[in-house]
Amino acid sequence: MTDPNNNYFVSVAEIAAKLDQTTLISQQLSLTASNARAVALRAGEKAAGIRPLTDFIDRLAEITILSSKKINALAVILSKTSVKKMRADNAIERFNAVYKSGKEAKYIDSIDKQHQSCKLEQEQLEATYRRQINQLSIELKVLSSELRNAIILATLSRVEASQSGAQYQDALINVADNVEGAAAKIKEHIKYSQHKVSILEECVTLE
Amino acid sequence: MKTQMLFENGSHAWIMFGRDDEKTEKIIDTNQYMVVTSKNALLMDPGGIELFSAMLSAVIKQVPADKITHLFASHQDPDIISSLGLWDQALPNATLHSPWIWEGFIRHFGMENITYAPIPDEGRLLKIDNVNLEFIPAHYLHSSGNFNVYDGEAKILMSGDIGAALEAVDAPIYVEDFDEHIDKMKMFHQRWMPSNRAKNDWVKRVRKLDIDMMCPQHGRIFKGDNVKRFLDWFEALDVGVATNSG
Repeated sequence: MTDPNNNYFVSVAEIAAKLDQTTLISQQLSLTASNARAVALRAGEKAAGIRPLTDFIDRLAEITILSSKKINALAVILSKTSVKKMRADNAIERFNAVYKSGKEAKYIDSIDKQHQSCKLEQEQLEATYRRQINQLSIELKVLSSELRNAIILATLSRVEASQSGAQYQDALINVADNVEGAAAKIKEHIKYSQHKVSILEECVTLE
Repeated sequence: MKTQMLFENGSHAWIMFGRDDEKTEKIIDTNQYMVVTSKNALLMDPGGIELFSAMLSAVIKQVPADKITHLFASHQDPDIISSLGLWDQALPNATLHSPWIWEGFIRHFGMENITYAPIPDEGRLLKIDNVNLEFIPAHYLHSSGNFNVYDGEAKILMSGDIGAALEAVDAPIYVEDFDEHIDKMKMFHQRWMPSNRAKNDWVKRVRKLDIDMMCPQHGRIFKGDNVKRFLDWFEALDVGVATNSG
């Protein structure tokens, strides 16, 4: 596992990669909603209760896709910021080494201006980095709370499946399983990302 | 990092930086050169990331940082220019002169501020204050887009990897016994240089120049008669040996 203190830019890239998978899983939810609608049409009155549920699954898929895409885009931007910050940190570190080893140099003052400029850039990147981490953390919480509805939808789908008769029961149980499975996978990715983000937040606070 | 004044007259100076005894053992030792004119300076093959702090420390003992307005990268190798991203922070107003074919590659080292001035295949002139420098084509020696820097007034040719030798970090600055020096450069030239045709083309071109000092990027500097000895030896050398034996 990456040490976030030293390789925060790798940690951020890992979060971005993980959340990219979330977008793909959310798209599967959308497919599940389409399947549920097809089953409901075939079943007619026998599965009348499933029809409004398909709308909810559709809406959940839509929200999850949008939210995942937004979070993914945020993570990618954060990843770029973290690499820029790493480069600025690196440049400052090298400048500091020059001040240490070259303090006797005749023109040591001539690097002051660029050193200050690098420090200013580093400070700006630091502020951007903190803001973007905070934003990512908020968006992850929003998506996580949206996913609570998935459990309700899965449970209701199971209830409808039990009332639809043997012919459509398996197909509707499958819909419930898919909703539940997709939500569980997304939650797992969110949990992983939230854990990583909280470590990054702690590192930023300690700096 | 040692500093050696190679040439100095009223108009400009040539300074060599190298023999960095603080570098990591497995990193090849490199020579960096700087031409200092009245108001500007050109830093040639400024080196890798690992060398940046040592180089900047050494350079600002000679000139203020903002006097370095020009950089030159003979080709795209990491030991030549992987420090670019850091120089980009230190010298945001500088211009980098380098082969046109490498622009898209060299920018991968990070270049947001420095201006890239591509050198066409046939080479070109660079006038800094009143000093005329010439980018001499040295393609395929070893890089497919590669230049040397010639100063007709100082009679110095910065020859990049041509004339390079692999040796200890405490080696003398100048070649003392040419025959003895051959062992240190033979394998490098035979294995790194791919083309006899390109090599002979370069020898023919460089024989026309008036050269007192030939300064490679690794190893020792050739002075006086050793320059001609090198050209004769190099002309007779069979290069691209990995292909020949393959």
